[in-house]
Amino acid sequence: MKLWSIILLTFRESLAKKTFMAFLGISTFICLLLIFALNLDIVNGMQSSVSLFGQDIESAAEITKILFGIESGIAILLFSGGIFMSLFATSSLVPSLLQEGYIDIFISKPVSRLDILLGRYLGAIVIVALNIFYLVIFSGAILSIKTGIWNWGYLWAGVIIVLTFGALFALMTFLSVLSRSGPLSLMITYLVLFFSPMLLARDEIYALLSSPVYGYFFDGLYYFLPKTAELGVILQKLVSNQPVESWMPLWSSMLFAVFMLAVTAYIFQKKNF
Amino acid sequence: MFAIETQHLSKFYSRGKVKALQNFSLTVEQGKIFGLLGPNGAGKTTFIKIVLGIIHPNGGKASILGKPITDYKVHRHIGYLSEKHHFPGFLTAGRVLYYFGKMSGLTGSALEKRMDELLELVKLSDWKNHKVREFSKGMQQRLGLAHALINDPKLIFLDEPTDGIDPVGRREIRDLLQLLRDQGKTIFLNSHLLSEVERISDEIAILKDGRLLKKGPVHEFLAVDRQYQLKIAQEKNTLEAICQKMSVTLSQTDGAFMISVKNDEQLNELIDRLRSSKVLIRAIVPYKISLEDFFIDVIEENEGDGQ
Repeated sequence: MKLWSIILLTFRESLAKKTFMAFLGISTFICLLLIFALNLDIVNGMQSSVSLFGQDIESAAEITKILFGIESGIAILLFSGGIFMSLFATSSLVPSLLQEGYIDIFISKPVSRLDILLGRYLGAIVIVALNIFYLVIFSGAILSIKTGIWNWGYLWAGVIIVLTFGALFALMTFLSVLSRSGPLSLMITYLVLFFSPMLLARDEIYALLSSPVYGYFFDGLYYFLPKTAELGVILQKLVSNQPVESWMPLWSSMLFAVFMLAVTAYIFQKKNF
Repeated sequence: MFAIETQHLSKFYSRGKVKALQNFSLTVEQGKIFGLLGPNGAGKTTFIKIVLGIIHPNGGKASILGKPITDYKVHRHIGYLSEKHHFPGFLTAGRVLYYFGKMSGLTGSALEKRMDELLELVKLSDWKNHKVREFSKGMQQRLGLAHALINDPKLIFLDEPTDGIDPVGRREIRDLLQLLRDQGKTIFLNSHLLSEVERISDEIAILKDGRLLKKGPVHEFLAVDRQYQLKIAQEKNTLEAICQKMSVTLSQTDGAFMISVKNDEQLNELIDRLRSSKVLIRAIVPYKISLEDFFIDVIEENEGDGQ
């Protein structure tokens, strides 16, 4: 109950920020665009033709391909843009909690420091999940109703995006507790978000470097950090109903989140406010 | 069981260069109003933050209501008004009490009822649905006080509770604190307003550079033994003559005479002699110094002992 009240307060605090409302507005706009862009002609209860942005689509196979394409597009847009915006919108949540005069109030309540930290973390996850699933479910429903093809794999997009956000937000929480600075935490988290795909090409980087130490260093970084690019690939495969070759990027990113949260909880426990 | 008990509590900053608390031992009895006084940077807020678990001490032990300060569950019986409390501006007064009441373990109709009672008590009922950002400093302070009382605490820590509040509001808070004390609650008060502390505290402690300089009941510190302030009409020469005969020390300050007697018998004899000499006594009151004077004396006595 006490943890829940911290989650609710964090949720309420996030709502007060205009970024999430903008996010919601953009999501609604995309859905409305889909409603008006995808036209179906129904003759005697049968679908006679489909047009997208005025272009006619003939075969059912082509419709399925187009549907998977649209859903993949939205999912990737959400994966990159949604995570980018969500990190931006939640970057001040932990630093604002740590403000003198605010954190004191929380600690003086019969709530453990771990609950305070988890409440804040989960509050951010809840609001981001609501935003992401709003667009995924709303757009998925529009597309499915209009085409008559129900792609349940599309729902996985929401799950993967929220989990990826969870891993990156764990890093941002750690940095915020250490530095108490929202902008600094955000900058470093963005760096990881955009730098980790480069580690996929670490073999090419090794070729340019003389010492094998760099190899161990980049390998270490690769296995330690969230694998955002590969998570994007997993997301695309799930949306397109294709088999996922390796789940390692997902579980190792989740391990990263758990590790970061555990370290953060330890530091938070020891910190003076 | 003491409300607060600390033994050799120490807190250092900057690798020991700044000593916020040094070997600080203190006990506070239950059901009293206790005032902690000290100049800026004396360690008053640090002390409160340590016993509430907001800051970790470098050494020593402390307990509140018989439980070690590391046990956060004891906070169920604690209320706290921070000196620089900051409630999110987008929340209404009602929501502030709702969220922090829930964190204190209150739920449902009990919480709603308590919220309304407290808003009424601090005269913010009409502002229940207004956002905190619209509140004046005094209103925020009153909301902070309501928040500190939401869980009907046994022990209440108030750090500068009358800060930003006008004289009428201050009197209301003073009355409230006395009412809470009469209900058996312990109030631990940090305040720069020494006149406020003097009026309501049962006991005080003076802190300087993290060290405890004095602790004891207020009346014992302020009463000056066997000195009385005497107000009479005119007959100054008669008074001087009688005092000289009786070997009573006489001085004059602020239009009143100050007499220093050896015992109660001598005081009564002096009164008898003055009355038989037809001296009209207007008032005779035991002399007390103000808490401010006492505080400054103690601080000056210990000037330079800090390090």
